[in-house]
Order: sequence, then structure tokens, then C-alpha cells
Amino acid sequence: MTTNPSSQEQRDASGRLAGLVGNAHSDRLTRPARGVFVWATLIVVWLASMLPWRLWPAAPDMMALVLAYWSAHESRRVGLVTAFVFGILLDVHDTALLGGHALTYVLVVYGALLLNRRLQRFDLLSQAVHMLPIFLLAPLGTHLVVAWLAGHWPGWWWVVGSLITAALWPIVGWVLQLPQRRLDDVESSAA
Amino acid sequence: MQRQTPPLFRRGPPAEVRLVVLIVLALTLMLVDARMRVLEPVRRVVAIALYPFQRVVLAPRDLVEQIDEWVNAANLIRQENEALQRQRIELAQVSTHAQQVATENAQLRRLLGITEHTSEPTVVVEVLYEPPDGGGQQRLVFNKGSKAGLAPGMPVIDEGGVVGQLVRVTPMTSEAALLTDDRVSIPVQVLRNGLRLIAFGTNTPGEIEVRYLSANADVRAGDVLITSGVGGFFPAGLQVARITSIDRNSASGFAQALGEPLSHPERYRHFLVLQVDVGQATKIQEEEDDDN
Repeated sequence: MTTNPSSQEQRDASGRLAGLVGNAHSDRLTRPARGVFVWATLIVVWLASMLPWRLWPAAPDMMALVLAYWSAHESRRVGLVTAFVFGILLDVHDTALLGGHALTYVLVVYGALLLNRRLQRFDLLSQAVHMLPIFLLAPLGTHLVVAWLAGHWPGWWWVVGSLITAALWPIVGWVLQLPQRRLDDVESSAA
Repeated sequence: MQRQTPPLFRRGPPAEVRLVVLIVLALTLMLVDARMRVLEPVRRVVAIALYPFQRVVLAPRDLVEQIDEWVNAANLIRQENEALQRQRIELAQVSTHAQQVATENAQLRRLLGITEHTSEPTVVVEVLYEPPDGGGQQRLVFNKGSKAGLAPGMPVIDEGGVVGQLVRVTPMTSEAALLTDDRVSIPVQVLRNGLRLIAFGTNTPGEIEVRYLSANADVRAGDVLITSGVGGFFPAGLQVARITSIDRNSASGFAQALGEPLSHPERYRHFLVLQVDVGQATKIQEEEDDDN
């Protein structure tokens, strides 16, 4: 029993230390999100991806964005297999080559998993800068394979789409952190 | 809320192994899907599972459209009425003329012993959604499928002529490749002189291409192409496209013509699917393939 407070202090100290080293309140963001919330956001974004707004050639890939966000912050729940399954679902909806979106999402999520530790130490804007190369390179890989198989290069609008996707990271990240924040506020007001 | 301690050792294979397995799987799927048709059952199963979600997601859009239609009903009906009146007067002349020609044609056909041209039954379909342009394909997804008697290979038409061809069918939906999709090729005929050609999609909206013309072929800008009925999928006499330009390359000895489709899939939501005998057409094609 006596060890509990000291470990709590230690954690607080390390949290403060992490806060000093990075430039984010890492102690505020370490609270895990609820599984229901994670899956609900993924499913809502997937459903929204079936709406016609994606006909715009430079449409941002919201599915990749949310998958990447959760795999960076909740890597225990959302991983490569989740990304693959959602990718296949979108491929069938888009009547595209099976495996195209799946490949993009697997690459995006792997990139986010690689940057997992690093991202925790930065605020959302810097995280977006870190994620930009991933949002550019993952679709590039897929477009190269599709171009090779279909003999058709899709143009460069998708680059604009990737830029918008990265630019939306801070906004989406802020929204996805909201429930955890609110829990923090409730607990601190109760204490 | 008790915070779970992170496991010291990850359960399952490490992320790199999973990454490689999934990438190889994705690449294999893409390769197989691009080259063979063996994945169609998989796609159909996933598509059937997706269908209820698609309907739910698209329901608000349909509702907005319905309200919009209802609000504008009087206006729309007036416009439609005017257009129909005009069409009726124009068609009245055409139809009397057509009747004469049809009887005459039937007589001549009987004289020549040609089998009588039968008209195919049709199914009206509505656009369910337009898939995003991945890899330059030109596709539409319709709201009826094999339950309504549709099958891959059936032609889709609107008032302007051929719109495209069904390529995949699930029980509730069907997917059509437009004329402009590069997977579609249609045997055509120049209306002016009966020259038989093949029109190909270019993956560019509003553009089709006629390849393998001999350099001196009698094709001009403004010529209308109609289906020739060769191959069996497209019945003869449907309008396809109007030639816009011809590129006569004297070096290769071949000419290439570009045309614009006469149908307008981007303007309408409703189309007709002609229920041709796809089995018969497939047999003809297979025989042709064997001959080659």
C-alpha cells in the first residue's frame, strides 16, 4: 500500500520530465481512449467515406487519417490488420482493384506505428509535420503498383489530397482527444 | 479506471512480420484482380455485406433529392411537358415514316430469308452511386442486380444511345463500365457508309477512340458511329458516338479517330439495361477467341 503513492509521484515526475523534454502536455494525453469510442470513430469515418465527396480528385483520405491517429495513440487496439480490412471494404465500394486501399492503409499505419513513441512527445501541429511524409509515400506506393497493373497514371491531384490529409491531422486529433480531455476535467474538478 | 500495464512481450508476431505478410497479400490481391477473374466471388460477398451500409449512408442524400424533387415538382412537370409536347410532334412524323419503313423492311427481310430482328426486354436502373476515380476507371453503380435479371455483359443505354456495359453484378447492385472506360470495346459501324470499326474507351471522360483504321479509311469528323451487332453483346443500330477528329499518321500507315459519346451518363440518373442473351454472346466471343 505504501508503495502506491510513491509510484504515483514517480509517474507524475516522469510526466513532468517528459513535458519538459517535449513541448506537449504528455501527462494529459496518456489516458487511453475507450475501445467503443475508437471503433465508433473508425466506423463513422468508413461510412462517411462511402458518400460522394470523395469524387473530388484532391479529396483527403479521412480513413487513412483516423486509422493513423489511432494506431499512433492506441496501437494495442488499431493495427495493421484493421487497416487492411477497412482498405478492402473501401476497395469493394470503389469498385477499384482489390488491395489498393488496403496497401495504402497498411503502409500508413506502419508509418504511424514507427513514429508512435516520437509522436507522443510533440504537439498536434508537429505531429502533422511528422505524418506528412507518410501520407505522401504510402499512396505513392499504391499508385505506382496500380499504374504498373492498369497502365494508367492517375495524375498528381492525390498529392494535394495527401497535403490536405496531413493538414487535417491537428483538427481530427483535437476532436479525437476530446472525450479523454473531458474525463480529465471531470476528475480534476472532483478532486 | 485501472490502467493496464503494457505487456513486456508483444503477443503475436512482431509488426514487421505482419507488415510484410499484409503487403504481400495486398500486392497478390491486386495482381490477381488485375489479371484474372477468380476474385469475383470474394468481391461479390463483400459487396453484398456492404450493401445495407451503402443504402443507410446514402439515405439522407436520397431524402434531400426527393424533397428537392417534390418542391420543384410543378416546375419540373411543366418543363417536362413542354419537352414531351415538342418531342411528340417531331416523333409523329418519324413514326409514320418508320412504320412504312418497318413493314417494307420486314417484307424485304422475309424475301431475303434473314431472321427477324427481335427487340430485347429492358430493365430500368437508377444510379446508386458513382465510385471515386481510382486508376482512371469510368464506372457507375446501379441499384438493381441479378435479382432483377441483370447479368455481366448486358449493354446500358439512355436516350442518346449506348452508355456502357455491365461488368459486375451482385444480387442487389450492378456495376457498369462506361463507354469511356478502357475495358470496354464496342463493334461499331459508320452510319454514313457502313464501314465496320471497333471503338475503345480512353479512360478520359467524354472521349472514345477508334483504333486500327487503315490510313485511307473513309471516316470524317462528324460521322456518327452506331453499333454493328457483331459480337452479340450490343444489338445493332444503337447510337454510340460522333467522330470529332482524325489523326492520319502516314508513318505507321494507320489512322486513329477520336469521338465523343452521344449518351450522357453524367446528366441522368435513370438508364435502361437491355437484357440481351449474354450466354449466346459469350459463346460467340469464345468461339472467336478460339479461332484467333
